[in-house]
Amino acid sequence: MPLSTFSFERSIPALSWREILVATVLLAAGATIAWEVRARSEGYRPTLNDTPDLWADRRRAVQPDSLVIIGDSRALFDLDLDVLEQGFGQRPVQLALAGSCAFPVLKELATDETFRGTIVCSMVPAMFFAPGGPLLETSEKALKRYRTQNLAQRAGHRVGLLLEERIAFLKDSDLTLDQLLKSLPIPNRPTAQVGPRLPPYFQTVDRERRMRMIDSCANPGPLQTRVKTGWPPLFTPPPPPSFVPREAFLADVGKAIEARFANTAAAVKKIRDRGGKVIFVRCPVSGLLKEIEDRATPRAGPWTRLLAETSAPGIYFDDFPELASFDCPEWSHLSAPDSIEFTKRLVPRLRAALEK
Amino acid sequence: MLFNSLTFIVFFAIVVSAYWLLPSWNNRKNLLLVASYVFYGAWNPPFAALLFATSALDFYLGARIAAAGEPRSRRAWMVTSVVVNLSMLGFFKYGNFLLENFQWLLDRAGIMYVPPHLDLFLPIGISFYTFHSLSYTLDVHRGATQPTRSLRDFLLAVSFFPQLVAGPIVRAADFLPQCVAPPAPRPGRFIWGLLLMTLGLFQKTVLADTMPSSSADSVFSFGGPLSVLDAWIGVLAFSGQIFFDFAGYSTCAIGAALCLGFELRDNFRFPYAAVGFSDFWRRWHISLSTFLRDYLYIPLGGNRGGPIRAGVNLMIVMLIGGLWHGAAWTFVVWGVIHGLCLVLERVLRAVFRDVAWPAHPGVQILLALGTYAVICLAWVFFRASDFATAARLVSAMAGAFPTGSAILSTREILQVGIVTFALLLAHWALRDITIEIAVARTPRWLLPVLWAAMLFAIILTQGNGHAFIYFQF
Repeated sequence: MPLSTFSFERSIPALSWREILVATVLLAAGATIAWEVRARSEGYRPTLNDTPDLWADRRRAVQPDSLVIIGDSRALFDLDLDVLEQGFGQRPVQLALAGSCAFPVLKELATDETFRGTIVCSMVPAMFFAPGGPLLETSEKALKRYRTQNLAQRAGHRVGLLLEERIAFLKDSDLTLDQLLKSLPIPNRPTAQVGPRLPPYFQTVDRERRMRMIDSCANPGPLQTRVKTGWPPLFTPPPPPSFVPREAFLADVGKAIEARFANTAAAVKKIRDRGGKVIFVRCPVSGLLKEIEDRATPRAGPWTRLLAETSAPGIYFDDFPELASFDCPEWSHLSAPDSIEFTKRLVPRLRAALEK
Repeated sequence: MLFNSLTFIVFFAIVVSAYWLLPSWNNRKNLLLVASYVFYGAWNPPFAALLFATSALDFYLGARIAAAGEPRSRRAWMVTSVVVNLSMLGFFKYGNFLLENFQWLLDRAGIMYVPPHLDLFLPIGISFYTFHSLSYTLDVHRGATQPTRSLRDFLLAVSFFPQLVAGPIVRAADFLPQCVAPPAPRPGRFIWGLLLMTLGLFQKTVLADTMPSSSADSVFSFGGPLSVLDAWIGVLAFSGQIFFDFAGYSTCAIGAALCLGFELRDNFRFPYAAVGFSDFWRRWHISLSTFLRDYLYIPLGGNRGGPIRAGVNLMIVMLIGGLWHGAAWTFVVWGVIHGLCLVLERVLRAVFRDVAWPAHPGVQILLALGTYAVICLAWVFFRASDFATAARLVSAMAGAFPTGSAILSTREILQVGIVTFALLLAHWALRDITIEIAVARTPRWLLPVLWAAMLFAIILTQGNGHAFIYFQF
């Protein structure tokens, strides 16, 4: 076959394509604008989504002597970066992850031989000692993105930031097609083992991953009620799987928790051996959620043992009147103004504990 | 770089604009070559060097094949190309698989051997571009195409970014002739390309990633016995997910190529309306099935050695086709199931060749549904991470666990049910026509509405950025 002959040609429907394109663009633009207007009318405002790409950005910002915050969403909401910077003379790097177990991040920082800074680790024992499942996956997903993020993903993330800072409906917690379908009120089979839903949009996020609770959640109202009532199912452990003997399952969980204590102690020792520091912080929790957590993981349990086995300092909010006086509007996190005050009161305690 | 990413939108807008603004055809091709290597290098820059090496070697070998006078020399150069290409593919893709199986064999013989684990990154799309490149030397050898004198054109043929990492497997013989003269700007072709890209992205982001993927993931990762309903829904979900994912990529690739004035062949023709497995393989991943037919089945002897030999050839082709998808025995079983079904179909066609009732429309529909059911059964082995998972799932589909777990929400079941029903209905309705004919028959006012609805749905997914399943192959 000579090179100049080409054996096939795609047929293209003979239509008035320019008109079709113009009509399509107008319709799609109209629908998108209408959706944006609707999102704003429902209280959504432009803010960033806290994605693994954003986390990877911050992880790259960690310097050998950085002050790094790790842990769960309470560290994201309750710790103010400006106040911490004033207190410690250096800008902290926020690496906490909502709905996560912090251990994989602690371990990763421990294995980073260059790191000899200070780690403030927010501690919710039920999350930190999770033997597996979504809590660990959240951290591992972020770490994987940090390790494997390629040039195209970094460029896409940059463009995404520009859009998210301007468009209100870009909310991956609520307004994606997937989330909209999940919000349909369709009852499940009585026997279906379907996990509880995650909370809706109730915070803003900036490029440093500082989260601030929005006013409609900080003040009593339907959003606050919705977020509040969402926590108890999320903090209730799922039943053991029916296809594994209960005793064997509980034994495996017990082994995993024991291993977590040992591995955490090893990670903390590694960081301290290099001159770094680790401090655990138990942030405020209120209402029914506090009752659930105190019942499942009492202070005398995992918290006390963790401090003993790691020899690391810890600050438990209940131990200090100035920290215990805060009320979480939706039981789990502080409002934005309270988070500033909480951090102001926390800083002297942190400094004192770290200098011991 | 993923088609379903913001980076690609920016990249494509820049490349298309610059491409049509450049007056010189040579400069346009240079631009496309650079863009294609940027597209590929954005994943991992060193892999672009491997792509270049593979292509440059085949360019050289193609010239040697053409220059060789003796058939034996021509054959030797062609075999060199096959060996080098497949060795490269084998090293990166099958290195650990071969070592693990070698260890297993030694273990059976009572010899203790722990092989080193090769810490290899699989270059993305290596299975595709190896076949793009290999098709050239094979075609030059069999006289189906002339060797090109332009290294740049050949590098572009292999690396052309729309089809580089997940197909269609574009043969150099189809692409190189399009490098001879510049395509004339045709707005209709450009806009049709944009429409196909939208359709492909809609298939990927909405119909593959949003509607069925969570059900498929939940079912295939569940560690215990499932109820019959959940097992079937999970498998139907995967059958939809893999079709929309892969066909979506191919549709995007064809659309992107059209926007640049290049034409790629169809890779899918409504495969779930297939009546029988030979029909399925004329409709599913057509560029792979025709590649295997032309470069493996026919050289093996095809149908020429009688029905038994043809059956053996079919099994070899499907077994290799299974392995092409991944280095695991589950893929081999998937290929074997398809091979056995193809052989069985030949036997049945021979037995019933004088009977008229199979042509009855009702029987055709039943046969199509039966074909789809077996295809779904085979997907279990394709998707399952190991045989234990596959066996558990097949047992659950057969109703072996009356008290099996129900893990899917009603919403997920409805999503999968609706998508599967619509998918089968659409494939059956369109099975004898093309997408172009279907669009030409659509009322003029409805086209912008459908197109805008797809665009809006894509925007609503907010670019979840899931990688395409076929990237891993």
